[in-house]
Amino acid sequence: MMNIMMRVCHLSKRFGESEVLKDINVNIAEGEVVCVIGPSGSGKSTFLRCINRLEMPSGGTIHYRGENLVHEAYDIRKFREEVGMVFQRFNLFPLKTVLENVMLAPLLTKKGTKSEVRKIALELLDKVGLVEKAHVYPSTLSGGQQQRVAIARALAMQPKALLFDEPTSALDPELVGDVLEVMKNLAKDGMTMIVVTHEMSFAKEVADRVIFMADGYIVEEGKPEEIFVAPKEDRTISFLSRVLPAAG
Amino acid sequence: MTISFLNTLLPMLVQGLKLTLLIAILGIAVGTVIGSLCGYALQGNNRITKTVANTYIWIIRATPLMVQALYGYFVIPKLLGIELDSTTVGIMVIALNSGAFISEIVKGALLGIDPGQKEASLSLGMSNLQVMFHVIIPPAFKAALPALFNQFIISVKDTALLSIITVNEITHMGQNYAALSFKTIETYTTIAIFYLVLLSILIVVQKKIERKMR
Ligand SMILES: Nc1ncnc2c1ncn2[C@@H]1O[C@H](COP(=O)(O)OP(=O)(O)OP(=O)(O)O)[C@@H](O)[C@H]1O
Ligand SMILES: [Mg+2]
Repeated sequence: MMNIMMRVCHLSKRFGESEVLKDINVNIAEGEVVCVIGPSGSGKSTFLRCINRLEMPSGGTIHYRGENLVHEAYDIRKFREEVGMVFQRFNLFPLKTVLENVMLAPLLTKKGTKSEVRKIALELLDKVGLVEKAHVYPSTLSGGQQQRVAIARALAMQPKALLFDEPTSALDPELVGDVLEVMKNLAKDGMTMIVVTHEMSFAKEVADRVIFMADGYIVEEGKPEEIFVAPKEDRTISFLSRVLPAAG
Repeated sequence: MTISFLNTLLPMLVQGLKLTLLIAILGIAVGTVIGSLCGYALQGNNRITKTVANTYIWIIRATPLMVQALYGYFVIPKLLGIELDSTTVGIMVIALNSGAFISEIVKGALLGIDPGQKEASLSLGMSNLQVMFHVIIPPAFKAALPALFNQFIISVKDTALLSIITVNEITHMGQNYAALSFKTIETYTTIAIFYLVLLSILIVVQKKIERKMR
């Protein structure tokens, strides 16, 4: 039995009148790769953003290391230092070089001396195949390269887990592969990941578990072969029939 | 025509230039501080500080600078029973004035930064203060530079209006000389050249900084 890293219980979130997350219950195990799929507006991003409290949940609990982080008093920075996030639109710092982008947060949060942080940053840039771009500015990079820098930036905090919110959705199709390759390697190295994605082939290949969300609920979850080959719920079936190329 | 008038005029204008510079520099410096604080308040969500900032900006924008100067020089001392010399009033008027306009510039620059920048930084474990100083302010400052320098230039020119409360800055010194000597052409041409040189320096500095930030 694997160790549970995060326990999400009865998580809910409303924006004014609209209830975007209704009753989310899910455990994330250490080293697990969980892919979250579902139609637009179903609450996938909100779910991720509630986990690291970019949005404060309206109800429920999220336990991490025995502490409930759905609580104003909980120091969320501790959690964020250990659980990174990668965004659809990269959000690199435009006036900083690639290397400075990767080094900023570890320096500010005192993860090491400047030369230690720099060494790790360069190793990570090498890992994502961009060490030769260390001294250029993000605007000179392709979207795929920017996203790989963003992944290196998140990794520089030496996180225990990573949240990905549609990391390849803003990319030209020919650039998607490089980013997914980096993510596959992370999965292979045992990184715990929650990945919101429209890349069904990635989910099939890499996920330990697939969660299908609709209307603020987890409608169905299971191993990729269960969800993609033999979905049980009607909503899952109709969603998959729309996003998957006809079975050949 | 001789240029011997310069022997008396130039020392007067140099004297005036010192005061112009003092008022402009102190006024703009204080105005930048006021403007940064109010601009920050305007884009935040504290209703009280927002209302205070908005009221201040409204009063400054909706009254002429000359009236503010007269008010500060003749009315405020009476109301408060204090003494204020014209230079102090001049600095305050320039500070309050530039502060109001800089507030709007700062607000716009801060709001212009993609919220994704803040979210990415927070998600990396940075504190709000770190996000502000390391992630938001540098690009906001870069975006605000042209408008800021525009306001600095306007504020330097505004110091000329302080002649109405007998501040002995360049324009007022020139007026004194012209009134005594009747050499209006020479005097006002020289004054214009003084401002031209002074503001050209500011414009060159602006171009230099903008080039450096690119
Ligand atoms: N800050 C907000 N204020 C108000 N409503 C919001 C906010 N953020 C999200 N919503 C609403 O919550 C619902 C779920 O949004 P969310 O972004 O989580 O969906 P999603 O599953 O990620 O969709 P997509 O696949 O398009 O990214 C949507 O109806 C959205 O309009
Ligand atoms: Mg989304």
